[in-house]
Amino acid sequence: MIDLQGYGPRLIEGAGVTIQLAVLSLILAIILGLLTASAKMSRSWFAHRLATLYTTLIRGVPDLVLMMLFFFGGQIGVNMITDWLYYSFDIDIFVNINAFVAGVVTIGLIFGAYMGETFRGAFMAVDNGQIEAGKAYGMSDGLVFRRIRFPQMMRHALPGLSNNWMVLLKTTALVSVIGLSDMVRVASEASKATREPFTFMIIVALIYLLIASVSEWIFARLQKRYDIGYAEAD
Amino acid sequence: MAATPIPLEVRNIKKRFGDTEVLKGLSLTAQKGDVITLIGASGSGKSTFLRCMNLLEQPDDGELIVHGEPVRFKTTKHGREPEDWKQVVQMRAKLSMVFQSFNLWAHMTLLENIIEAPIHVLKKPKKEALEHAHALLDRVGLSARANAYPAQMSGGQQQRGAIARALAMDPEVMLFDEPTSALDPELVGDVLKVMHGLAEEGRTMVVVTHEMSFARDVSSQVIYLHQGLEEEAGPPADVLGNPQSPRLQQFLAPKY
Repeated sequence: MIDLQGYGPRLIEGAGVTIQLAVLSLILAIILGLLTASAKMSRSWFAHRLATLYTTLIRGVPDLVLMMLFFFGGQIGVNMITDWLYYSFDIDIFVNINAFVAGVVTIGLIFGAYMGETFRGAFMAVDNGQIEAGKAYGMSDGLVFRRIRFPQMMRHALPGLSNNWMVLLKTTALVSVIGLSDMVRVASEASKATREPFTFMIIVALIYLLIASVSEWIFARLQKRYDIGYAEAD
Repeated sequence: MAATPIPLEVRNIKKRFGDTEVLKGLSLTAQKGDVITLIGASGSGKSTFLRCMNLLEQPDDGELIVHGEPVRFKTTKHGREPEDWKQVVQMRAKLSMVFQSFNLWAHMTLLENIIEAPIHVLKKPKKEALEHAHALLDRVGLSARANAYPAQMSGGQQQRGAIARALAMDPEVMLFDEPTSALDPELVGDVLKVMHGLAEEGRTMVVVTHEMSFARDVSSQVIYLHQGLEEEAGPPADVLGNPQSPRLQQFLAPKY
């Protein structure tokens, strides 16, 4: 039997952090992705440029650099604002950027850019006749989105979304550099203390694999749900 | 006699795509119970004209009056647009469209397709919508296919289903955009039979079609369009039986 030398509970906690971080980042990324896709498809010149700027910036800078920029740079920015409040208005507050929040925001921002492209392609794959039928029957734009465009888009988006999620899950390992105790950080501390890196890293690898397998099963179920009605058409 | 509002009036509709003016001022009045068929060669603008009636295309000029209520327009940098999209949404709910390519929502069963807009747009109670839907399915002969998805149905079944979906809105006017053009010849008859029945029960319909027999037997008025203009219009006996313009004569002449 593998001897975890007392690190078992901390590893489980670390896995919890990883999962929470990944799921919350995914939610943020999906929201940002939908907004980016809508902006890129809108006829507003400003929205279009803003979304293009966002995806270009995010996709052009390494994830690790972005993470440190947000965490350390964010703290400097917040300090400047609180200093200004103190000197100008005598308001004394102290805000500490939470590593977990910084992690979620960074990963969410990074993957929001990728999701934006996934969703844009998926929205464009929806047959325009389906949308026209909605409009012709008196549906508002919001209703057409909720009842027709979104469910039909999801079928096309899911393969890309599932791919992005797998990469996102593994990207969470980067938060250990900003001091968050995810399972990678716990494992690397344990490795150093016990001098048995292989034991801990193989466990971490297996946990990632387990999360990935469960997600694949969930995505397969979702795909089945959104493929309803299309089985015969393809 | 109490004045009931005219279901649909369009006046002087103009529309251009880029440099091409496809509609050069077209008008039409559909009184209650009228069946108006629009005929003409492809490119004559008949489908675009129909799509301007529920604003799937935005006309560059002209008036649109649905059930006595004129649609208000404004001019923006993108061109002419409806002033109030809420008004458009309400107006569209009074006009149901049947499309050439059916456009039944692919992710819903036939029954779900039929109750979708009545529940979410007209805010009908679900029970009532379901009862109505089953009656309509029975009427178009598709009771057995209520739980089928569109992809599992033949084109003719899909189009009859789409007509049931249109009827579920209790529309003021039904707009048909070449409803049989995408169908195999042997399936056309069933769809035309359903449309025949609708005309007989006094539905107000505007139909873009290539089915001359339908235009002759069912319509109260036939309008022949040529290059975005009305070339000839009147009762089918005159327009189809005794065409005046050489172009219409040629259009109606046997093609073989």
